[in-house]
Amino acid sequence: MTGALSPLVVAAVLVAGAVGAVLRYALSRALPVRPGHLPGGILIVNVVGSAVAGALIGLAERAALDGDLRLVLVTGFCGGLTTFSTWSVETIELVDGGRWRAAALNVVMTLVLGIAAAAGGYLLVS
Amino acid sequence: MRSYLAVALGGLVGTGLRLACDLAFPHADDAFPVETLVVNLAGALALGWLVGGLWTRPSTPMWLKAGIGPGLLGSFTTLSAVTAALVVLGREGEWLTAVAYLLVSVLGGLAAAAAGLRIGSLIAHRPMPTEVTDAGETL
Repeated sequence: MTGALSPLVVAAVLVAGAVGAVLRYALSRALPVRPGHLPGGILIVNVVGSAVAGALIGLAERAALDGDLRLVLVTGFCGGLTTFSTWSVETIELVDGGRWRAAALNVVMTLVLGIAAAAGGYLLVS
Repeated sequence: MRSYLAVALGGLVGTGLRLACDLAFPHADDAFPVETLVVNLAGALALGWLVGGLWTRPSTPMWLKAGIGPGLLGSFTTLSAVTAALVVLGREGEWLTAVAYLLVSVLGGLAAAAAGLRIGSLIAHRPMPTEVTDAGETL
């Protein structure tokens, strides 16, 4: 972590996070979850955000992306785009509704595709 | 439209809170990301609490749910930081840390969400207080 952040960088991180949040909300509205089924919109943003974050961290390690920009894009945009809270609550709601298979699928697909996407993005730029 | 504005505002606040936690508790890319874990578990607990409680009341406006749920808590918590950290830990050969982080995040997150949903539901659906004023004509 570098020294003091400029107010401009902090503002850019917050705005990038808000943009990510709005994109996630728009996609989840566009792909409404049928009760008892896999929340596809959240799965997509989590996998896409993981791929982008993996690639950006790979670039940052190769000094192709400076620290401030990494903070804006990875912590701000990818962090705002992806979500852990919605994913975990929706999984438990599936369990509570007796939809064990959908719940297990939501956990396995998010983890397998999310980790694969992050690794893919990282390796792509290496 | 109001919901989108609420999500944007919530996104600003949630990202700001996560950034503040990041800066207060920085960690190296190849170390156990305690800060991300705490943020994610706290966010899952809080969202479960609201979904199980306040959200079930018909009087809760849609824009408020959107602003706090997908907006604030959605952007406060993050999955990309988890998956990206796992990749970096794996590349560093820190497999034990990676597996521990993955398990604690997933099991802890699901447990936090489940606890939040139950606590929220208990509080929202507790019996009405008995000291409701009653002039006698309903008896």
